[in-house]
Amino acid sequence: MILAPVEYCRPDTVDEAVEALNSSPDARALAGGQSLINVLKMRAAAVDLLVDISRLEELKGIVRHDDGTLEIGAGVTYAELAESDLLGGDPRAIAEVAADTVDPQVRHRGTIGGNVCHADPINNFPPLMVALGATMHVVGPDGAARDIPAEEFFTGFFTTAVEDGELLKSITVPALADGTAVGYVDLEIGEAAARAVAVVRTEDDQIAEAKLVIGCLPVPTRRPEVEAALVGTAVTEAAVAEATAAAADGVEPLSDADATAEYRKAVIPVVAKRAVLAAAKGGHRG
Amino acid sequence: MDRSDTFDIEFTLNGEAVAATVPARRLLIHFLRDDLDLTGPKIGCDTGHCGACTVLYNGRTIKSCMMLAVQADGATIETVEALAADGEMTPVQQAFHEHHALQCGYCTSGMVMSATYLLEKNPSPSPEEIREGLRGNLCRCTGYVNIVEAVAAAAGKETSA
Ligand code: FES
Ligand code: FES
Repeated sequence: MILAPVEYCRPDTVDEAVEALNSSPDARALAGGQSLINVLKMRAAAVDLLVDISRLEELKGIVRHDDGTLEIGAGVTYAELAESDLLGGDPRAIAEVAADTVDPQVRHRGTIGGNVCHADPINNFPPLMVALGATMHVVGPDGAARDIPAEEFFTGFFTTAVEDGELLKSITVPALADGTAVGYVDLEIGEAAARAVAVVRTEDDQIAEAKLVIGCLPVPTRRPEVEAALVGTAVTEAAVAEATAAAADGVEPLSDADATAEYRKAVIPVVAKRAVLAAAKGGHRG
Repeated sequence: MDRSDTFDIEFTLNGEAVAATVPARRLLIHFLRDDLDLTGPKIGCDTGHCGACTVLYNGRTIKSCMMLAVQADGATIETVEALAADGEMTPVQQAFHEHHALQCGYCTSGMVMSATYLLEKNPSPSPEEIREGLRGNLCRCTGYVNIVEAVAAAAGKETSA
């Protein structure tokens, strides 16, 4: 397919990139391009300027701060995440999810920033970022900077809190508390039919704290009632199944080529149960 | 910072320096096939799913239908044409030939690029690792068993060489 005529620029700094993004209302940041190029092929968005941020060194860092917080540049690729020594400890789930993203070619180009900003409901990182309590660092014109909790970042179908003219610069992920682990489960039918991420702290074989986020929905969705029901539950399949039985209550999944909404609703409690059990047994993937 | 709909680019292609002028909207695969006559990389799906257009970009496999030609600027690109440059097949190509790892051949150049990259990173992959390494390459003739056998055989050859 041939793209519509478009202009392109390759800024050398984040400041220049933000300036370019503000030079036209239809400017778009081009990171790894693994989603955007298809959007352009389909001519599904009017774009008059592509701002290539794929080589910006400022977006490439993975840093472990002294308090254990991990800071990941928006331009870090899945392959770089999967290969990073810094992700060897917790939250190891980030490296594992990155290593399992699509296929080697996509992992060599696609970035974590592009993944969360594209906010396709079936993307794998949005529910993980919400479950891990990540913070998104966004920059704008004239040195403006905003920190957005992941839970407020995803605002709708393919929509995030990043405004026109802003750019996601990095993501920070707090260290997990002692005794806490992440469970990440997806049901890969087509791209993904259902996905759940659980962050669970156990104490004496009981769940002391739990966070549960369901993916493959228009926005990654926390389930506070289920989280509350999980507290005090024994780490057994029966007990966790009972607590997660309501995981799909009130959610409205989409129907698409991979799965119908009805099917998704039926399997959400299953992936939720598996994610909680995986996390409660020390993580990471179930 | 230049903003334009046309760019002069310079890059290394199969070991040789190349300079060209490309429209910003030109996909790398179209540039390679239509402008530079390198028809090894194929267009299968044109949506980033099939891997028929796989080439090496700075030493790593990428799908050339999912990149712009202008992004080749300053990079090193290798297509399947770089492999048997002296007319002698590489171990991966030889193994594909011997194990009947192709029927129509449409997926083959992409498969060979991914397999070559895989063996470079992991010289003795398990069958499971071979399948994972080729996850981004689809074969519509579905000859996967022979493809995996060919890559395993090439690995054996390379480790004993
Ligand atoms: S043509 Fe590029 S992935 Fe299919
Ligand atoms: S040999 Fe025909 S597509 Fe693979």
